[in-house]
Amino acid sequence: MRAAHRRAPGEPRAVGYLYVLPALVVYGAFLLYPFGQSVWLSLLHWDGLTAATWAGSDNYRDLFTDPALRAPFWHALVLLLFYSALPVALGLLLAATMSRIRVRGLTFFRVVLFLPQVLAMVVVGVAWRSILAPDGLLNDTLDAVGLDALSRPWLGDSTWALPAVGGIGTWVGTGLCMVLFLAGVQRIPRERYEAARIDGAGAFREFWSVTLPGLRAEVAVALTLTIVAGLRNFDLIYITTSGGPGNATSVPAYEVYHRAFETNQVGSAAAVAVALALMIFTLTVAVSKLVEGRRG
Amino acid sequence: MSTRGERLLTYLILGFFSLVALTPVIGVLSTALGPQSSLSTGFTLPEGSPEWGNFADAWDRGHFGTYLGSSVLVSVAVVTATTVLAVLAAYAFALMRFPGATVLFYLFVLGLTLPQEALVIPLYFDLRELELTDTYWALILPQTAQSLAFGVFWMRTYFRNSSPTVIEAARIDGAGTWTTLWRILVPMGRPAISTMVVIVFMWTWNEFLLALVMVSDESHRTVPLGLAFFQGQQNSDTALLAAASVLVALPVVAVYLALQRRFIEGMLTGAVKE
Amino acid sequence: MRIPAPPRTTRRGTLRRARAVAGLALGAALLATACVPGTDGSNATRGGPGASTAIPDPAGAGKVTLTVWDQEIRGGTNGAIKELNDEFQEKYPNVRIRRVVRSFDNLKTTLKLALSGNNPPDVVQANQGYPDMVAFVQAGLILPLDTYAGIYDWNTRYPGTLLNLNRVSADGSTFGTGRLYGISQTGEYIGLYYNKDVLRDAGLEPPRTWADFTASLPRLKQRGELPVQFGNLDQFPAIHTFGVLQDQFDADQARDTVLGRGDGFDNASTRRAAATIVDWTKRGYLAEGANGLGYDDAAKQFASGDGAYLLTGTWLLADLKKSMRDRLGFMPPPPATAEGPPVTTGGQGLAWSVTTGTKHPDVAAAYLDFITNEHAADVMTRHGVLPAVPGRAADRVSPDTVDGQMIAGWKRLNAADGLVPYLDYATPTFYDTLSKNLQDVIGGKVSPDRLATTLDREYDAFSAKRRAGRAGTEDER
Repeated sequence: MRAAHRRAPGEPRAVGYLYVLPALVVYGAFLLYPFGQSVWLSLLHWDGLTAATWAGSDNYRDLFTDPALRAPFWHALVLLLFYSALPVALGLLLAATMSRIRVRGLTFFRVVLFLPQVLAMVVVGVAWRSILAPDGLLNDTLDAVGLDALSRPWLGDSTWALPAVGGIGTWVGTGLCMVLFLAGVQRIPRERYEAARIDGAGAFREFWSVTLPGLRAEVAVALTLTIVAGLRNFDLIYITTSGGPGNATSVPAYEVYHRAFETNQVGSAAAVAVALALMIFTLTVAVSKLVEGRRG
Repeated sequence: MSTRGERLLTYLILGFFSLVALTPVIGVLSTALGPQSSLSTGFTLPEGSPEWGNFADAWDRGHFGTYLGSSVLVSVAVVTATTVLAVLAAYAFALMRFPGATVLFYLFVLGLTLPQEALVIPLYFDLRELELTDTYWALILPQTAQSLAFGVFWMRTYFRNSSPTVIEAARIDGAGTWTTLWRILVPMGRPAISTMVVIVFMWTWNEFLLALVMVSDESHRTVPLGLAFFQGQQNSDTALLAAASVLVALPVVAVYLALQRRFIEGMLTGAVKE
Repeated sequence: MRIPAPPRTTRRGTLRRARAVAGLALGAALLATACVPGTDGSNATRGGPGASTAIPDPAGAGKVTLTVWDQEIRGGTNGAIKELNDEFQEKYPNVRIRRVVRSFDNLKTTLKLALSGNNPPDVVQANQGYPDMVAFVQAGLILPLDTYAGIYDWNTRYPGTLLNLNRVSADGSTFGTGRLYGISQTGEYIGLYYNKDVLRDAGLEPPRTWADFTASLPRLKQRGELPVQFGNLDQFPAIHTFGVLQDQFDADQARDTVLGRGDGFDNASTRRAAATIVDWTKRGYLAEGANGLGYDDAAKQFASGDGAYLLTGTWLLADLKKSMRDRLGFMPPPPATAEGPPVTTGGQGLAWSVTTGTKHPDVAAAYLDFITNEHAADVMTRHGVLPAVPGRAADRVSPDTVDGQMIAGWKRLNAADGLVPYLDYATPTFYDTLSKNLQDVIGGKVSPDRLATTLDREYDAFSAKRRAGRAGTEDER
């Protein structure tokens, strides 16, 4: 709200309530209120059919004690490496290499790299299910370059299914980060690079002292967007693995659906949902704090 | 100069990642034009002339005509409702001062972090109680609420950055808040609004979980669900599945190609500006 | 069913505390949920079948749209249903059938939502056993069909063992006995598809005994052929493979267990079946990376000549025949001794049930009768589908064709009482537990021992709960 203090915030007008009201009604009725109900449901044992009983913190305790519920959250954290950390790292790599030059054809690259972001996850899932199939494109490519030892049934391998699903997330997120950083790096004043070079900075130090600080805001945005996307990945899991093999790729977002609508454990599902929301909220706040902290 | 090497490296990296980004897309496109009932399970190349008929077949067999109709209706409704409501609310948040404004605004921002998964369970039971499941309302209302989080946030940024002198001039001319908004600020804000429109359109078009839970009636189904179920049915027909995927992705991709700046701006720079 | 409101009448102390917590946590808005939670879920009484015993005439029902959800997506069954639907609509021009088709997986995941929604379909295909059919009965979502069974003579049309699979006890506690909640159209069993060319090239005859079959596996492997094609990405196929193996080791035990009168899964046949899967996977008798291969993709690869055998259900016959023609052979899993009684997993196709939400139960029942009568059986036979009760057309099919092999196998199985119901019927969550654990068995993450104890624990817990439930006190947790 710093901006609010800097600028005149407009005149006081009660009529403001009238403008806000319609949005607030819809928003309150279909977002805030249901969320409150989710919290309420998470305190109950309820199968969605018969009478509910009070559960207190049981459902939340299960999140820590029941391995079948702990696993999805652990998987989610692993997936964040692929959905968030890796794309940001790759984006920064690109930003570092091109910090000194002007790229021609930027629009083309931007359009292409960003394309995965606009595709429906269902379409992405269908395409990747085919690529990751035992005789799919990925294994064929590995075989062709003599790496047949690496080829495996990606989505069906207890160890590799999770990284494979993560890889799809990396594919989706990398373009976003690259486009974001491409734009950001071009905005960093040339003089800073020149100054760094006069100081005799190598490419590595230049990256740490000029490029990275200059991209701070973009990194924060990239992390926020990819974290949120990475934790709400229901569609992709539903299409590719349904949480399998075994529970190797079960994630909170899928578990919510599975428990609430397939196995009639509504209370437990609501607890997972609330925990997921908390997780997203905490990580988002942490990212912004981290960035602001460094700024100060 | 070292820039030559750097230039080459940059283009190599850009080229590599562009290739990676495009491969699945091209794979699906090429498979979509391949022969039906081929026994191949992966991507295929068209044999001989491309089989454009696959699209018609997928359209017929997968009922994508109906699904597209549902998707268009839901998207238009959500986009329209979000735009109107978000513009009104954001206008007040940006330019008027009233008690509780800050808290209310942050309440909306909170929605940016609330995943659909955290809402869908009570939404389903509530809407079923109201007999609204299996209607378009069950898709429109919750999605409008979710889109409002972004819409309010985004439009407030625009109104904040709009020129105070213009608003001042309007007031001196005797225009009220209502007239100022619709006659001056909204027409001036067309770029910002269209960005919001395309983003909300894309989200709505691609929404999956809500559609899966709320709609079991075939005639209200939207395209992503249609594709997911089509995958189950046509697993054995890779070409048709690919053709259907293209049909599902095409509207958003078309809008994206036409308005790519708006898309990218909307998804990326909104938060940077704040 | 509404979102439950705080309980009011019981356990006052807890209640007050609960309210206080809720109030703190959620604010006043939440307490506005002061609606009474539905307590019984029993709309079972709604729309019961009329008491009449005359055959209802759909022609007199006025304009009717019958929404039917089925999962007959495959070539043969899809064709048969289409033809039968057309004929039904021709016969009763006032009835329009709105058919919604989706795959077994997708039907399974969405049916619960659809049935409890506001506009449930009129007729649905429900999977038998505790996970689906019993759950639907308990929630009062599907109608008992006993009256119609009397009117249409379904009781004599079907053998009792088949009909019993579609029964649930009146209190909704037990599957396999009690009221009739659906009838099946097709017969189904897991059998052994084989590629005649691949076997001949390896110098092998189609196996006549189980020992022949297992002995042929290393031989095929040595020749560089894939012995058994298998894709388990979709999670359900391993249930069938496992079931067939378990049946080989102890069919009676398996049958008793599924039907709720057995001793569970902590036994030798469970362990041996799982160990066999592990062994076959290790030796490469089963397709490598089966967990990553889609079910239909595996079938496609088998059709294109990759794999000597494919162990799966009769429902794939029509599709496989289309691309393999004369190369395709089929039989029940070979018995222990040549010409001995075969055993396998199977029974009948998903049950066709009438929902409690339908406004036209009579028309729905007439439809059920129409798609399962003798004429329908002949239509199915023509489409390469196995009818639950083969009709005249089935008798005319040459025994040398693959269809003939399938029908003959069905008759042998029924005569020998060799069908064991699908294992996933066993408890409400058994489909989930079994399919996920079998994926892990194949992946080497779960040992046969652990599988046996995991399955047994779930089975025991459910049996105990069921006994408690029958004793009269509903366990709400």
